Amino acid sequence: MSARSFRSVFMVASCAGAALGCYLVSLRVASERASLEDVETKIVLAQRDLRVLQTEIGTRGRLAQLERWNVKVLALSAPSADQLLGGSFELARLARPERKVEFDAPVVLAAAPAPGASAPIGEPAADDTGKVPASNPRALFHEASLKISGTREVPAKPAAVPPASGLKSTDAPAAAAKPDKKKSVDKPGLAAAKPVTKEVRMAKVDPLAPLQAKPATPTVKKTPKDSAKTQ
Amino acid sequence: MNAPTPALVAPRPERLRLVGQRRQLLALMHQRLMFGMLVYAGVIALIALRILYLAAFGDHAGRKVGLTTLIPDRGDIVDRDGEPLARTIDAWIIALHPTKVIGSKLELARNLARLMPEKSEEQYYALLTSGKPFFYLRRRAAPALVEAVNALGEPGLAVQREPDRLYPQTSLGAHVIGYTDIDGHGVAGMERAFDGYLSDAATRGDPLILSIDSRLQQALEHELLDAMTTFSALGAAGIVMDIHTGEVLAMTSLPQLNPNAAGQGSQEARFNRATLGVYELGSTFKPFTVAMAMDSGIIKSFGQIYNCPDALRAYGHTITDTHPFGRPCTVAEIMKESSNIGTAQIAAQVGAQRQQYFLGKMGFLGPVKIELKERARALTPGNNWGPLEVMTVGYGHGIAVTPLHLATGYATLFNGGIYRPATLLKVDRRHPPAKGVRVFTEDTSYRMRALLRLVVTQGTGKKADAPGYRVGGKTGTAEKLLNGHYTSSAVVTTFAGVFPMDEPRYVVVAMLDDPKATADTYGFHTAGWNVAPVISRTVSRIAPMLGVHPNKTREPNMAEVLPFVHEKAEH
Repeated sequence: MSARSFRSVFMVASCAGAALGCYLVSLRVASERASLEDVETKIVLAQRDLRVLQTEIGTRGRLAQLERWNVKVLALSAPSADQLLGGSFELARLARPERKVEFDAPVVLAAAPAPGASAPIGEPAADDTGKVPASNPRALFHEASLKISGTREVPAKPAAVPPASGLKSTDAPAAAAKPDKKKSVDKPGLAAAKPVTKEVRMAKVDPLAPLQAKPATPTVKKTPKDSAKTQ
Repeated sequence: MNAPTPALVAPRPERLRLVGQRRQLLALMHQRLMFGMLVYAGVIALIALRILYLAAFGDHAGRKVGLTTLIPDRGDIVDRDGEPLARTIDAWIIALHPTKVIGSKLELARNLARLMPEKSEEQYYALLTSGKPFFYLRRRAAPALVEAVNALGEPGLAVQREPDRLYPQTSLGAHVIGYTDIDGHGVAGMERAFDGYLSDAATRGDPLILSIDSRLQQALEHELLDAMTTFSALGAAGIVMDIHTGEVLAMTSLPQLNPNAAGQGSQEARFNRATLGVYELGSTFKPFTVAMAMDSGIIKSFGQIYNCPDALRAYGHTITDTHPFGRPCTVAEIMKESSNIGTAQIAAQVGAQRQQYFLGKMGFLGPVKIELKERARALTPGNNWGPLEVMTVGYGHGIAVTPLHLATGYATLFNGGIYRPATLLKVDRRHPPAKGVRVFTEDTSYRMRALLRLVVTQGTGKKADAPGYRVGGKTGTAEKLLNGHYTSSAVVTTFAGVFPMDEPRYVVVAMLDDPKATADTYGFHTAGWNVAPVISRTVSRIAPMLGVHPNKTREPNMAEVLPFVHEKAEH
């Protein structure tokens, strides 16, 4: 018994094995192909579902319906020509602060206060409470302006003197309180002083003065008229 | 006795013969056996080969016939941005087979009347006992209803799916899209015009892309409907068109029609006024007359003077103006105040031959050119085109055209003078714009810009102005012909506008059929009061979508006309 006598058997067995292997490969390919087709079918079915859903959403959110909601609830309208900008430059231009010539702005002299000049030289720099901020540029201002008018800074027309930008009477700094007081107290004198101080107009409030938390002169009583004027 | 002798001798050859026969027989049997074996072997080999072939290339048992592509039963129609305007979906239908009903018919009729109350119990019972084999009870049924009907468990009730045409935007652009009959064939609009394309299996996979922009369409429809309601008009039509390509971006006809239930709409609603209705569009024709005169060399400057008396007698008729000048006036003033008398004189100078030539080239003497089948032919004086008709046609009377004719004409006048037929298909690589035909010179087209802008800034069309969008255009108020007589009580008001006038891109035409005067219009029912505001509002809405940038500093070259306007309008 030798291997030679089993040769034919081996041949048959190897042929059968090869055929089986080929068959398995083709079976595998067929099953892969089938599963691919399954996936493709699923994709198509999903697309169909998508289509149905899109159609439904489109129908529910149709333009006529949106328009109806807009008319009833939202009331949006087309933008006007001014609301559409050409680019970032036009947008930046909108944010630019508007330049206004303030005739009543204080005259600030181009000079720094001397180190020892914290105490006011002029009389009005010391207010009722006697407190003057150390670095108050008003000191200089009053020195300059007081010498012009002999009648101190009694305003000719309080109504014509608006507060400097941003300062309302309710949160006015300490320095701003005084003119208010003058207004309410010295009212009878105002008419007499009018012609004298007509041409010289001075600001009552210095916009450069630092803001303070509360008014330094709680004793000043404002009349409703004053607060209305300074609004 | 001696008889066996021969018998003793004889068997030999007999036996020999027998042996020979047996051998032959055996050989035959062997042959047959071999043949049978071969046949069996062949059959087995065939089966084996077939099995092997099937194993390698064939289907397997679990294989389904898969859908590989999604081709709808009828092609979609989409707008220029791909927004679906018409789609075919599988809808549920509920049908009744009275002969297959096995339960109590009375009970079934009662249940059906409860679920679908459009018919009474008696009517359902009559259907059930009629003996006919089939009835549709409900097409496009809601899923909840289908479930409830299915729950009745009656074999005579059939619940199945059927392809059904759905228009998701309902009435939006209904006259453009059209609708289908119950068998799914188009009977109106683009559904009808492209029925072959939409139903052919080879082409229906690709949607039909229209030139319509649904947002523009909605804006136009809404503003027109608003005006139609405010002024109690019988109907309205509107068109937005690209003047360079002839694409119709929006086209509407009111009253509205819901194509999902087109059969329920009235005849009036199904009628497409924009392409099928012909109207005398009045003064909107005047720019054509002026352009004809400019091209013919009759008008050389907008400062040219015509005598404009309070009334003009011509060929036995009297032509009058709503704002009579009673003095000589310039062409610019004639257009600004929409003077019939002045335009009639210009038209008389142009003459019948040239007028017909220009109108013919703009397509005003034939059916309007567009893909839709619902097209109307213009009504013209025809063979009676005498000198009086020349005058009346010059200011838009005696000739009836569709609003689409007018839009095409304005596109021709302002795109540099080239006529292109209107199209409802998106212009792109697959569908290039139609070849143009020159009608007016480029110079005429350019100079007309200032003239029509003047009408809006100072003339009869002030209310059509949309600030920043440089609208130019012309109002038109034409009296309607009722019982053979023109009556001032019923009018058709039109505004044909173009924007932006310094570089024209789009034409907008709006028309109201028989608007009534209201308190807000101080008793007027002219175009400047009712249809011009529609243009203003529509342009304000659509211009940003079209990419027209508002600019209050840009204007066409008004130096062409302003020196020739001598006095301010008094109204």
